[in-house]
Amino acid sequence: MVAALAEVADIVRHRELLRNLVIRDIKVRYKRSVLGFVWVMLNPTLTMLVLSVVFAELFRVTLKDYTPYVLSGLVLWLFFAQSTSVALKAFVGNRPLITTVALPKAVFPLSVVLSALVNLLLSSIPLFGLLAVIGVPVSRHVLMLPVAIFELFVFACGVGLTLSTLTVFFQDMMYIYDVFLLAWMYLTPIFYPVSIIPERFRWLVRINPMIHYLNAFRASVYMESPTLGADLWYGLVWAVIALVIGWALYHRYKDRIVYYL
Amino acid sequence: MLRLADVVVRYRMAREKPRTLQEYLIHRLRGGTIAYEELLALRGVSMEVEKGETFGIIGPNGAGKSTLLKVIAGVIKPTRGTVDVRGRVAPLIGLGAGFDPELTGLENTYLNASILGRSRKEIEARLPAIVEFAELGEFIHSPLRTYSSGTVVRLAFAIATEVEPDILLIDEVLAVGDEHFKAKCQKRLLGFKARGTAMVLVSHAMPEVRRLCDRVLWLDHGAPRMCGDPGSVVAAYIEATREASDGDRRS
Repeated sequence: MVAALAEVADIVRHRELLRNLVIRDIKVRYKRSVLGFVWVMLNPTLTMLVLSVVFAELFRVTLKDYTPYVLSGLVLWLFFAQSTSVALKAFVGNRPLITTVALPKAVFPLSVVLSALVNLLLSSIPLFGLLAVIGVPVSRHVLMLPVAIFELFVFACGVGLTLSTLTVFFQDMMYIYDVFLLAWMYLTPIFYPVSIIPERFRWLVRINPMIHYLNAFRASVYMESPTLGADLWYGLVWAVIALVIGWALYHRYKDRIVYYL
Repeated sequence: MLRLADVVVRYRMAREKPRTLQEYLIHRLRGGTIAYEELLALRGVSMEVEKGETFGIIGPNGAGKSTLLKVIAGVIKPTRGTVDVRGRVAPLIGLGAGFDPELTGLENTYLNASILGRSRKEIEARLPAIVEFAELGEFIHSPLRTYSSGTVVRLAFAIATEVEPDILLIDEVLAVGDEHFKAKCQKRLLGFKARGTAMVLVSHAMPEVRRLCDRVLWLDHGAPRMCGDPGSVVAAYIEATREASDGDRRS
């Protein structure tokens, strides 16, 4: 317990490094493109256009306000998928630093999730822009939005810590997680309504933590949902579980990482 | 400044290391256990470095020199023994490790400084001196990928040494760069020494060790073999190396 607190204090001491790493990630991502930051917002908007054409017109998904449904699902899923799959490489990718400078290594996966969070906030702008354009009113629970996002952020930190630690010891984690993430995406109602899932597969919905974050996110952005409170509670529980597992794994193996890099 | 007492570094490595989860699971499912091998990287090393002293570490490859440096840097926790480091450590190892090619020299300077635990304020005040040492001028605003490799090393060296460290760790750093850069580095290092910075130097270049160091530790298979004044330790080391290679030739 004391050792864990010391590690947390060490991370706090390195907050300037954390900030610089986040700034670096964001700068590098957009530096070489002329459109720069506009891309963050343009990217999900264009993807949404494609998806709403494909699903609404071709597959005839009938769902009220399909466009904001897809866009909100996409924005939130992209945050989770990007942050965790990049965090997975946080230790192996920073090998030269980790093996020469004494640092609290957790700053690397943490900075990845933080910079993805900045992206999420930026790409929420076109989401609200779209609501205004198509005339869908913003949810009266919009104050719960920071809570929903924070819960998912904590969940992503836990998953990121777990993955980055495991990847040091098992090099195939990257490929395993890629496939896993693909399956997970299709099991999460991003483009389709939950109602199209057959009854016998409903248990998959119940054990999928992402559903709660997605429901809470949509409910606090625009959708009417009677389950917002329950989703936020489930989301909190999953976030704590993920963080405890991730931190415990990291803490147990952090001093051995340097031998395996 | 720096005191190591009876430092042991021992770690377990899987003998046939399953490097993937797939291999690991298959291995386990077949009922296999994983055979671990105990590796003793350092076996009871004690050393003490005073203010302003330059301490050399020599020995054949795999003797534990880099491990010892990593223990001092705080990257590796010793299995046993104590490490007492007073003051700010600057590792001159893997110079430029934290650099990003897409960022400008200036952005990299701030990033690298925070990796080394320097605050932005501290580094801002030293910026002109850093730019001058790296001979960058206006190019500090250009992306790092446009720099020559020599310039990158100069910049990294400047950042690591501009805010005066109390303890400097050097791993063959003077082997990189051209003569002009080497001369510049040495001048700066000698200046540090005069002002009381302790230095720990790992090197294979015996003339350099003899010239720069006040004391030398000879490591062999992770254990200290001899420690003392550079002249006699280096002489004994060269003698032993020659005997060993003579022995190889005879057999």
